[in-house]
Amino acid sequence: MTDESPKRKRSVRPRKPDAGDDNDRPTVSPPFDVEAFARAATSPAPAPRPIGAPTGPSPPFEREGRGEQITLTNEVELERARYQSAKRTDPPRSNTPSALSIANAHAPSAPNIPAQRALSPTSIEAAVLGAIAASPGPEITERTIDDPIAEMCERFSLGDYTGALEMAELILAEDPSNLEAAECGENCRTVLESMYAARLAPLDRTPIVVVAPTHMRWLSIDHRAGFVLSLIDGASSVETILDVSGMPKLDALRILHELVQQKIVAFK
Amino acid sequence: MEKVIGIDLGTTNSCVAIVENGVPTVVPNRGGYKTTPSMVAITEAGKRLVGHIAKRQAITNAENTVYAAKRLIGRKWNSPQVKNAVATSSYRIVQGPHNDVRIVLRDKEYSVSEVSAMVLQEMKLIAEDYLGEAVSKAVITVPAYFNDNQRQATKDAGEIAGLDVIRIINEPTAAALSYGFGKNVEKTIAVYDFGGGTFDISILEIGSSGIFKVIATAGDTFLGGEDVDARIIDWLVHGFKEEHGIDLRQDRMALQRLKDAAEKAKCELSSVRETEVNLPFIISSGRNEALHLQRTIERKTLEELSGDLIERTIDICKQTLSDARLEKDDIEDVILVGGMTRMPKIQQAVGEFFERDPSKGVHPDESVALGAGIQGSALIDDKHDMVLLDVTPHALGIMTQGGYFEELIPQNTTVPTHRTKIFTTSRDNQTAVKIVVMQGESERAEENELLGEFILTGLRRAAKGSVEIEVTFEINADGIVSVHAKDLETSKEQSIEVTASSGLTRDEIKDMIDNAKDYMVERRSTEEVEAARQEAERMVGEIERLFPQVEQIVAASDFGRDAIEKARAIVAKARQAIAKRDLVAIKSEIEGLSRTHRMFKGVVAKTH
Repeated sequence: MTDESPKRKRSVRPRKPDAGDDNDRPTVSPPFDVEAFARAATSPAPAPRPIGAPTGPSPPFEREGRGEQITLTNEVELERARYQSAKRTDPPRSNTPSALSIANAHAPSAPNIPAQRALSPTSIEAAVLGAIAASPGPEITERTIDDPIAEMCERFSLGDYTGALEMAELILAEDPSNLEAAECGENCRTVLESMYAARLAPLDRTPIVVVAPTHMRWLSIDHRAGFVLSLIDGASSVETILDVSGMPKLDALRILHELVQQKIVAFK
Repeated sequence: MEKVIGIDLGTTNSCVAIVENGVPTVVPNRGGYKTTPSMVAITEAGKRLVGHIAKRQAITNAENTVYAAKRLIGRKWNSPQVKNAVATSSYRIVQGPHNDVRIVLRDKEYSVSEVSAMVLQEMKLIAEDYLGEAVSKAVITVPAYFNDNQRQATKDAGEIAGLDVIRIINEPTAAALSYGFGKNVEKTIAVYDFGGGTFDISILEIGSSGIFKVIATAGDTFLGGEDVDARIIDWLVHGFKEEHGIDLRQDRMALQRLKDAAEKAKCELSSVRETEVNLPFIISSGRNEALHLQRTIERKTLEELSGDLIERTIDICKQTLSDARLEKDDIEDVILVGGMTRMPKIQQAVGEFFERDPSKGVHPDESVALGAGIQGSALIDDKHDMVLLDVTPHALGIMTQGGYFEELIPQNTTVPTHRTKIFTTSRDNQTAVKIVVMQGESERAEENELLGEFILTGLRRAAKGSVEIEVTFEINADGIVSVHAKDLETSKEQSIEVTASSGLTRDEIKDMIDNAKDYMVERRSTEEVEAARQEAERMVGEIERLFPQVEQIVAASDFGRDAIEKARAIVAKARQAIAKRDLVAIKSEIEGLSRTHRMFKGVVAKTH
């Protein structure tokens, strides 16, 4: 099913990797020709395509003998992602056009964290960025997930903990006794909690609202963030706010982090 | 001399006071507030929250937040008040093993005394933090209508909290003590106490030479400021629904904010004529946008919303005066207790009813705790001559044929006292009688509180009504009730001493005391680690701030480089200790950090 609407949707229909398909090439094959990429990016967008085939070591939750599935990147990228994931203490990014972010972008609950590296584009980079901005973007279609457990495991292995958690929750909604999903979900929560906590650390700091009450209404936040904002009284620490929010710790941490990122909240 | 703290263990808020250099003083909590919400919660992570922090999450974590435990303390499972609480409380109330009441929080059962002990423990900590020394003795206040079991349960709560409760006194008596402190008054006063969860009216006589006597007391345990908050919430919810078609009650987060805002607006309207309730992003419209609640509420609106509640308190005042056979003229002063009495409409209604302006001489939130503090100080200080004459809050009597209650000692009788009445057998050839001792005001025995029972045997076989049995009730100065039954013909006698019971066994209380102690040890230890961690982090921050300057100054010398390396090692070790939350290690690193900090400051100071 193809979605013709301008709204971006999740991509990729499962299909077998086709031998000899030039789509099988690695997405990142150094040396990377930026100018060529910029030219390619400005030309009409090709049809969505599956990229690469998995061969690497099994992720922690990977089941044996799992069936046909698609992956979002190739082995080189997988390895790099695993390495980055192991190294990183901050939450996964969602707005960089990497394989990780593709998975993240699928998840409605993906952390909306700005890229850490400040871009100071050179002329070529500017051309690339401009080309990307000008292009209509990839055509994205809905995706049917045949094997949600495999999908969950893969997302986990890619360091897409938000996406893996989302899958785990979907699985548990249908089968609450699924131990694998429960365990994976719990692990994702733990990792994400520690990531957000690290970003907000130390948690005994006292957050304050830095937006004037008169400007509050013009903020682009939802009612859950509004609730967390109402708990920030200039005296309560992050720990206290987590205790009194009454919402899952991960949600409260994520919202607080977003409020800090949006410069609605700062620390004393 | 050891300090005795006075604790007003309220339904919605608690307060602790001491007498310092002869001056009664309320002790503020860590947040600077003089009252602490009587709320206890257990978080998802199993952490115990008490006071303001528990209140702030009371709606979003409603199932695991206990409020108004005082309404349940010392009550039997089948009492109407418990049934009412079971039906209206957001937390789960279950039957205990001794027909008592238990509260379930995160799948663990707690006795009501245990929950109240958590609040008392917090009050003890507040006093200890303020005084800088351990506190073990306390005077705790209870409503004048509390029966013996409720008083005992409150005492048990004190014991579980690690307090030696040297006296339980009535709340109106405490308020009167605060009112009469330092004055030589001789008056009959009314104490109108409209708190967050309950309403009480008491009439007291303050005699010369420090005698305080409660003449009458009555109230409503389910009428308080929270009912007024609920009316404001209803008003806001209704208005929002009319405007947006969304019921804010469906969303817990919205309701929590509404509750806080309603209470705030209520308080503000005591001093201003109108106030704004502004809750941005209160709820999602369902179309990916958040809605805001912004309404102005006038004092007039609040008065309309709460008019019937105020009227109910006045009706109870009328009834109490009538029961005590007193006229309004007999009341020489009216003192107002409880936060709700700040409301101008209430002051006006009370003034109109008693035909005099209420006294502004006592603090509505603090007077009860201050009175308890005064009493505590008097009990350990021989210089104070103060006699508190209490009354029996409920009538005492026995069950008679047909399930009726025969009263021997009427309600509001000053103790110590004793009364005797003659009863006869109700069946032919009856050789034994069962004396069922009860407390309460209902004519139906089953509706009153059972205090104890015993059997008098060996009666002469005779036609019904011909054997006479003398029953004597006695209450001594310590409030202990004893009942004697005597066969007037044979002088054969049986008696019982009624021991109040909170519903907990000694073993259970002991276990709870141990648990409370463990909790305190853990909490103190966590606090100590936290304090050390903050100190260490502060020093690390200071040292790191000075590093570039010091490096620049001493870089030239070998000695300087060595010192810098050592300083870096100390900071790294401190960071490790902080990460491990190892108290001993953090403390030992603080020493090194302190030395380094001093040295760095010295180096920087010398070059400037």
